[in-house]
Amino acid sequence: MTNFEAEDGTTRDDLVQRVALMEAMIAEGRRNIGRFGWIFILWGLVCLIGIGESYLLPHSYWVWPITILSGFVIQFIGIAMHRRSGNWPSENLKSRSVAAVWRMMGIAIILYAAPAGVTHTIHQIAYIAAIFMFLGMAHAISAVILRWRAQGVVAGLWWAGGVATYFVPRNYVITIYVVEMVICMVLFGVYAMWLERRRAAALELHHA
Amino acid sequence: MTQMEREDGTSRDELVQRVALMEEMIAEGRQSTARYGWMFVLWGLTYFAAIGWTVYFPHTEWAWPVCIAACSVVFGVVRSRQSRVEGKIDNLRRHSLDAVWQVIGGGIILYLLAVIVSGHGKEPGYLAAVLFFNGLANGVSARILRWWPQAVSAAIWWGCGTAMLIFTTRTEVLALFLMATFCGMILFGVYAMMLEIRSTSGMQGGR
Repeated sequence: MTNFEAEDGTTRDDLVQRVALMEAMIAEGRRNIGRFGWIFILWGLVCLIGIGESYLLPHSYWVWPITILSGFVIQFIGIAMHRRSGNWPSENLKSRSVAAVWRMMGIAIILYAAPAGVTHTIHQIAYIAAIFMFLGMAHAISAVILRWRAQGVVAGLWWAGGVATYFVPRNYVITIYVVEMVICMVLFGVYAMWLERRRAAALELHHA
Repeated sequence: MTQMEREDGTSRDELVQRVALMEEMIAEGRQSTARYGWMFVLWGLTYFAAIGWTVYFPHTEWAWPVCIAACSVVFGVVRSRQSRVEGKIDNLRRHSLDAVWQVIGGGIILYLLAVIVSGHGKEPGYLAAVLFFNGLANGVSARILRWWPQAVSAAIWWGCGTAMLIFTTRTEVLALFLMATFCGMILFGVYAMMLEIRSTSGMQGGR
């Protein structure tokens, strides 16, 4: 009997299996982010289009509600197509936790932004910074759960943007917003999808 | 070979084992949240102390930094003693929950520091954001642990946060903040501690 067995009844083989299971779950969780990389790209583009529209139509209150609603409709259709194609990812503890984080973050941002939008106070620095912090938190939690450095860097960029909005002159806030959306949403989504493509291609090559 | 085995190589027995493992982890996760109920109470009282300082005492700019620092010291000491006595509980769910609370806690501190240092403390949106961050942590935990009392706590935080964006006078903001802290943190912490005490006394009675 090993030391492990004497202490808590766990054999070495059990531990090796558990570690293997955890590693498999981490890999699966990252693959799921890659499969859903298009959602990051979608929302990055939605937010960039929204900002562009509000620049062109500065007095319209309907720009953001319509743009966000369109984003949801496209996401809904995309997910339905994903499900129908039979390429829906398998669920495990880690990917369930990551999914929980993103779902709750989505609800929190909607609940936070909607009243601010209705009361026309969303342009205050505190709101913009808080939305950056929300996104940074979701990325950071996901990065810790999946032990994924690239996502940790993205989280750091969101938080840096959130803090910076409090200190830079007002005119630069919009620049920070656009840069964050391009790098942390669109480019990160492209990177995640590229990783997933490369993995799928390697798998096909391996089977061939 | 069953249908399931043909599709993804997983046998029924393996699936049953995995479900049992998941259920065990959920139960462990809830139990450890209950074991840490004192943390909710401690942080709730810290929020109350900081708000009390900002209302009744001078040098209000120091209220949050001092209260959070003091709370962090107490928290660190008690937590290290607790883990020394009980040993470290580690499973996948615990790891995810730790990630949620550590990241959101760190995010809140960073956000508050930025607000205080930059002098934007008068915008109502920042306190509402803190309520939303707390709601996010409770909401994610509730979803991971499938635990409705914690989901209620998340709803209280988010409800008060939303109300704070609409009712923006100083008195209303303070009342909402204190209500969210009392119901979402202190009462939830007391409830979690009660669960833990009941479970401990049940185990002792079983022996």
